[in-house]
Amino acid sequence: MEFANFPFLSAILLSCVVGLLVILFIPEDRKMLIKWVSLIFSGITMVLSIYLFFAYDKSQGGLQFVEKVLWVESMGIYYFNAADGFNLPMLLLTGIVLFTGTLTMWELENRVKEFFALTFLLVAGVFGVFMSMDLFFIFVWYDVSLFPMYPLIAIWGSTRKEYGAMKLTLYLLAGSALILPGIIYLFVNSGLNTFDVVALMQPGTFTPFQQKFAFILLYLGFGILAGVWPFHTWSPVGHVAAPTSVSMIHAGVLMKLGAFGVLRVAIFLCPEGWQYWAQLMAVLATCGIVYGAFVGLAQTDLKYVIGYSSVSHMGIVGLGLATVTVDGLNGAVFQMFAHGVMTALLFSSVGYIYDRTHTKMIPELGGLSRTMPIASGYFILAALAGIGVPCLASFWAELLVFISAFKTYPIRGALAIFALVVGALFMLRVVQRTFYGEKNEKFAHIPDVPFGLGIPRMILVAVIVLFGLFPSVMLDVIQVASIPFISGLP
Amino acid sequence: MKLWMLFIPELYFLLTAAAFFGLAMLARPNPRRDYFAALFLGGVGVVVALACVKLEGTLFFEAYRVDLFSQVFKAMLSMGFFLVVCLCTELNGIEERHHPEFYLFLTTCTLAMMMLVSSVELLTIYVALELSSYSLYILVPLRRGHGIDVEAGIKYLMVGASASAVMLFGLSYIFGVTHTTYVVEIIQVLPSIITTPAAIVGLLLTLCGFFFKLAVFPFHFWAPDVYQGAANQVTAYIATASKVAAVAIIMRMVALSGGTSAYLVDVLVTLSIASMTLGNLVAIVQKDMKRLLAYSSISHAGYVLIGILSMNTTGYASAIFYALAYLVMNLCCFLVVVKVAHDGSDLKIAQLAGLHRRSPLLAMTLMLAVFGLAGIPPTIGFTGKFLVFTAAMEQGYIALVIIAMINATISLYYYILVVKAAYLLEPDEELPRLAVSMPTKVLAGVLVTIMVVFGVFPHHLLEVALAAARVLM
Repeated sequence: MEFANFPFLSAILLSCVVGLLVILFIPEDRKMLIKWVSLIFSGITMVLSIYLFFAYDKSQGGLQFVEKVLWVESMGIYYFNAADGFNLPMLLLTGIVLFTGTLTMWELENRVKEFFALTFLLVAGVFGVFMSMDLFFIFVWYDVSLFPMYPLIAIWGSTRKEYGAMKLTLYLLAGSALILPGIIYLFVNSGLNTFDVVALMQPGTFTPFQQKFAFILLYLGFGILAGVWPFHTWSPVGHVAAPTSVSMIHAGVLMKLGAFGVLRVAIFLCPEGWQYWAQLMAVLATCGIVYGAFVGLAQTDLKYVIGYSSVSHMGIVGLGLATVTVDGLNGAVFQMFAHGVMTALLFSSVGYIYDRTHTKMIPELGGLSRTMPIASGYFILAALAGIGVPCLASFWAELLVFISAFKTYPIRGALAIFALVVGALFMLRVVQRTFYGEKNEKFAHIPDVPFGLGIPRMILVAVIVLFGLFPSVMLDVIQVASIPFISGLP
Repeated sequence: MKLWMLFIPELYFLLTAAAFFGLAMLARPNPRRDYFAALFLGGVGVVVALACVKLEGTLFFEAYRVDLFSQVFKAMLSMGFFLVVCLCTELNGIEERHHPEFYLFLTTCTLAMMMLVSSVELLTIYVALELSSYSLYILVPLRRGHGIDVEAGIKYLMVGASASAVMLFGLSYIFGVTHTTYVVEIIQVLPSIITTPAAIVGLLLTLCGFFFKLAVFPFHFWAPDVYQGAANQVTAYIATASKVAAVAIIMRMVALSGGTSAYLVDVLVTLSIASMTLGNLVAIVQKDMKRLLAYSSISHAGYVLIGILSMNTTGYASAIFYALAYLVMNLCCFLVVVKVAHDGSDLKIAQLAGLHRRSPLLAMTLMLAVFGLAGIPPTIGFTGKFLVFTAAMEQGYIALVIIAMINATISLYYYILVVKAAYLLEPDEELPRLAVSMPTKVLAGVLVTIMVVFGVFPHHLLEVALAAARVLM
């Protein structure tokens, strides 16, 4: 058992679990109390994740804040949490999205207790996957984060919610049906009787064939959650059906869980498999980018637009991972973070508009910027971030990915850049038709975002701008992990 | 230590049976008295069985062995008996004057299964198996009712009798090729001749008798009808304790082959895949909760077989772990079935609508149990599946593991339908809140705690299972 000092990572998990338990013991009709308790516990996780991000010693690098306890001796399972350059941005993202998501749902009145209890269960799983360094726990947390999605979407959602929830759950659990055999395959064939990722990462643990075989299982399994084309079809449907904060957590954080799983499990343990399958990954990623952009062009539902732009943007993450370069990895991880914050802001703005107007069809809205300038401002800013406008976080991430992709795969890189232009076109078209143009008198009486409800959106805007102006704050942390990893490749 | 002390758990249950026999003779029915007697005797039974876990030795001319393997299963069986009795507060499915008989045959069945897991001689095994079967043949048609119970009883008897006949035939083959009925001697002879047709056919036919108990394809036909036709509490018993005993004896018999027969493995793999797939696919269309659980039990028989057919220590240990996990999860489901259908009727899945408001506790218990059956962490069901798959992967059965995982995903669909009914659907007419008594709340709390705690901290349980499995090797 080794603890550097205070177990910060476990504290994050504990604040989720304790929050969940406290909510379970509050009577159902004390709705305000439940919201405040959720806000306090999600605030604790956010503060802790921000602290960790800045307390990480970049000059030393490697794994820090290590917590390691032997869990099941006969199977070599460890409770092993650690932070490195790859998962710190993800922890920060989760903390921010959880906190802002809780604030966004402040107006919820229906079955409040169950909603926040399930949200905390979901987020505990997400944090667990990001911080765990033990395959068994990664899988356990992964599944813990998936199954609350069903009730969250099916009970509080909209637009074909039961269909969307069932489709999403079955797709994602079909993914874990590939991951579990992959993990057990690696465990058995290592001969080390351990699930410790660090121990299994030693070069020479697995033969090239084993790496290629396990990689494809793990890549497809986690890839389903990352929205890899052609397994992305659950994602727009699920996003559209989900309630606002669940869309935020889901598109903002949960899809990153899949990409992060590809990185942490598949790429870390099977680097040779990674190099072998990189071509395929690049093809699928490019397809996703192009497909997402073009299908998005045809949508009339605001949430579908965001859903398909997510498919496109997650394709950029996949393309970055497929380049097998330092820049590509940096860009991919940065893009996970930037896209997470940006999508959260998009869904959060649409959520406000939908709650007031009860429609998210673009033709019905129109001219919203005159009735709700602030709400429109949030959406437009997030849309600009998605397009990749300089000085906003996504710009740097997309730039890094496209430069390295263009070097490694010129044709696919060019296609992706072309798709990005199309994507920009469709986003601008959406902005133009929703927020400018003819004013719809039906919505003229609706008040703009009040200050209280504006707080979560402001936080997200601040994060996007901050990391857009100072990308090195993020890149310096990621590089600490990516440079040694790439140089250590066989 | 006196030799008879090895036999204490069985003696205890024999005396319990005698007590209920006495109660059955009394003229005036008194359900409260019968229930509390059963509850008390069952509770003491668990304590007795747990106290005897460490005993070791042989009895009755070496035909009966008491070791960690058998004692662990006896503890599980006594727990199953006790928990099923806990569900009998409102035994409305059975006429009041038959209550003592109900408890009597429940006790004899438990006694018989305890003898079954300890028997190491073919004829003793057969006698124990038949005693348990006959108790169930009587319990199934005991239901107060509309004839469906009689149909179920006859079906059960017919399929059971045929399985017994097939099994006796197989036993005769084994005796023929090995010239002995003692398992200890068979295990020395059989692995060397397991490639001969007579030996493999004998072993397989013998296994058929036990596959019937576990409801493995193609001996599963009785399960849906019997589950639906029997009283809810009887179904709970068949679905839990009876399955645990079947897992134990199948392990004992498969271990006879010494793990050297590729034929046996092939057959078991086929049966396992067929059971999983058939159970899961047919379960999707079920409308009745008990029938759904019946098909789910058929598919779970397939998962357990994966652990058994791995034929290594991890495999047997995982099967033991899985049996316990299955016992707890299924009892949770039946707790909800019994409480929601408190008049003793069958429970349709649609009748679960609005359960989250009628009783949040029962709804949560059901959700966790059902997700446990689907193999979702952090429940004991996931840990069980994880161990089973690890054992199979150690033997290199990658395809089998992937097929099993795909099956688990299919099964998730109908389990989610149950959760959906309990949490999402609203009943046509407003139903009153369910009155859940304090003991029921405690029972649900304990079962849920066991399910989650052993799912998250499997270490100690796994050590016990591994130790028990080593006895078998």
